[in-house]
Amino acid sequence: MSFFPAPLTARPGALLDRVAPVTRLVAGSAWLVGAVATTDVGVGLRLCLAALVALPLAAGIPWRSVPRRMAPIVIGAAGLALVAAFGSELNRDPATPALLDLGAVRLTAPGLAAGLGLGLRLVAIALTSLLVFGGLDTTRLADSLVQQWRLPDRFAFGTIAALRLAPLIAADWTAVGAARRLRGLEPRWLPGRVVAAIGRLFTLLVAAIRRAERAALAMDARGFDSGTARSRYRLVSVGPLDGVVIAGAVGSAVALVLVGR
Amino acid sequence: MIARAGGVAPPEVVASGFGWTYAGRPSPALSGLTFRLPPGSVLLVLGPSGSGKSTLARALAGIVPHALRGRWEGRLAVGAQEVPNTAPARLGERVGIVFQDPESQLVMPRVEDELAFGLENRGWSRSVMLDTVPRALRQVGLSGFEPRLTQALSGGEQQRLAIADVLAPLPGCIVLDEPTANLDPPGMAAVFEVLRALAAERRHTIVIVEHRVEAALPLADLVLILDEAGRQIAFGPPAEVGPRHAATLERSGGWVPGAWLGGATDGHGWSAGRSRVAGGGRPAGGRLPQHPVVEARGVVVRNPAETPGSWRTALDGVGLRLEPGERVALVGPNGSGKSTLLSVLAGLRRPDSGAVRVGGGRAEPATDPSRLRSDHLADLIGLLFQDPELGFVAPTVGREAVARAARRRGRQGISPTAVLARFGLAGSDDRNPYQLSQGEQRRLSLAAYALDPPAILLLDEPTFGLDRLGAERVLGLLDEASGGGQAQLLASHDPRLLPACDRVVALESGRVVFDGAVAEFLAAPPYRPAEPWRSGVAVTGAEMPGSSRAVL
Repeated sequence: MSFFPAPLTARPGALLDRVAPVTRLVAGSAWLVGAVATTDVGVGLRLCLAALVALPLAAGIPWRSVPRRMAPIVIGAAGLALVAAFGSELNRDPATPALLDLGAVRLTAPGLAAGLGLGLRLVAIALTSLLVFGGLDTTRLADSLVQQWRLPDRFAFGTIAALRLAPLIAADWTAVGAARRLRGLEPRWLPGRVVAAIGRLFTLLVAAIRRAERAALAMDARGFDSGTARSRYRLVSVGPLDGVVIAGAVGSAVALVLVGR
Repeated sequence: MIARAGGVAPPEVVASGFGWTYAGRPSPALSGLTFRLPPGSVLLVLGPSGSGKSTLARALAGIVPHALRGRWEGRLAVGAQEVPNTAPARLGERVGIVFQDPESQLVMPRVEDELAFGLENRGWSRSVMLDTVPRALRQVGLSGFEPRLTQALSGGEQQRLAIADVLAPLPGCIVLDEPTANLDPPGMAAVFEVLRALAAERRHTIVIVEHRVEAALPLADLVLILDEAGRQIAFGPPAEVGPRHAATLERSGGWVPGAWLGGATDGHGWSAGRSRVAGGGRPAGGRLPQHPVVEARGVVVRNPAETPGSWRTALDGVGLRLEPGERVALVGPNGSGKSTLLSVLAGLRRPDSGAVRVGGGRAEPATDPSRLRSDHLADLIGLLFQDPELGFVAPTVGREAVARAARRRGRQGISPTAVLARFGLAGSDDRNPYQLSQGEQRRLSLAAYALDPPAILLLDEPTFGLDRLGAERVLGLLDEASGGGQAQLLASHDPRLLPACDRVVALESGRVVFDGAVAEFLAAPPYRPAEPWRSGVAVTGAEMPGSSRAVL
């Protein structure tokens, strides 16, 4: 019934666990730049493989928790890769031999490579995000955003509150649907269902706003943002290891992009 | 800012002619409150639903008048601070407030961060926080819970965490607005154990608003009784005030401690006579067809567990029959599968194995409810959600009340007026259902099933947050429907409901551990209450309030 998979449990003491959360963001963005800036199949494939190796080694996330989270993205990426492969301009070049020729539809090796490259890079981006955010304690992230990057408390802690509410709102969505079915308001045909889904979304919006209001009230009742300078219960520090991780991420990104050129 | 490690002396709380009228309301929520609470005393506020108990709690915390609009009268002061002239943040340093719903008052994902949050906001030094967090957890019996996720805690644990949240900054005055209303008996018992310890310490001036009057009364030095219009009926020590004003309180619809009514307290903490919910005046269903309207056999439901690929069994081979006109109580501790069973019987979930069959109305007997079309399902089965708000489907009270009947008969010729009047909601036709009080919302959710009542009505905690009058009204309405042959299944923690039921089905860990007569159940409850104290604290089971009675 749950929208969201249970939170990832990462091995405590993993390398990325010992650096500041903002370091994870910087290190991950180096790989993301690599994935976005190239079109090569080889780069996409190497980034995917590197991320798969890094997941258990650096982030302490076991491989067995990867498939369930990646499945929807892999399916989506495969679809996009197909569309991109068949729709590629490269297929139009009559000089390239066709792998598949149905008259209107023609697929060539460079077109296929372009599609695969896109799909693999999408998967690489998703795997990198899993590497950065999987097993990341949101409270530590907020503390790090405030302490290292000087982001406003209201932004950082508002985000935590929103993340905490997400599963509750997902449960509300289920409940709102159940209420409509039990009152005989679940339409039988597709057009009615579309209209009903809009109504259901509206009800959910109202419920979400009420939850958010209550959360804001709860934070205010605890003296949040009342003018007093906040102190810190958790200290997040940046040390030499953070530098090593960032250097390693940038270096590996450059190497993965350039190797074989 | 320097942290105060030593604590603050509890303040005196004084009201003098205090009153409050919410903007847009014709009559005051509270008026003429005059009382004085000595430092370190415990006040229990009694009164029916709508008597302004929560408004008083909000005023002490400064939410009234600082966050809500309305008209203030008279005087209310906590220590030297006059509430209307004190910024909420300043007042918040002296007064901590705990609300009904534990889930919506917690802010952070982990227990220790949750506790530290309020201290960080006050600028406490880190070293003092590192001492305070474990101390506050110990005070509420949650030692060692620091790294746990707040969402994974039980309701009782969450509520004790919320109490620790307000204790940690050493406020001096604590206000609790129905802190156990949403808890199961073990959770409730654990919260009361914390309150008892706090009351004995005398280091806080405490104001409690609570429907569980039997459990709360022994803690109170003083009681304040309000009537349905928010006027003060009496204020004073319980022994003095109680006997004199119990009848008035009862007439106004509030819960009355059994001791005040002279009745002996039965084994369930409620006087054998009048403080129990009245009901049971319905005709016996002799002429009704004697075939089951609900039959479940070997129902198994599994939910995904936290570790990927593993499963938690929510229902483990449950069998259940409901006859027409029968009212059955479904009891069991939190997490025993009550809500899951209701959703399976209501056709909202298909069991992983086993079968559910329903019959009556337009549906053929032996129909799988999960395969029924939405409109046919609605003809046959009703489900009242624990949180009535989630069940509302219409923008106004009037349309909500007739939505179901209008779908069947067309909107013409159906007026909500009569139904709303019967459910005590006259004149509310055009109000938004979300703006109603909790009791009114509960009645509206019942009213939605009053026209063309379904053959089967499933209710999840139908008396949560209701005063005695509200609970009696709900039962009266249920009596009417079951007289017409409706089968009713009431999932409830409230022992006061049992005498109004024909049969009890008890679940524990997803299995039926009892199915039989109410008297037999009460004589020998088939399971012990869950151990509410999980980690090492100085309280043993023997000292729990009614560890033998808190079984529902």
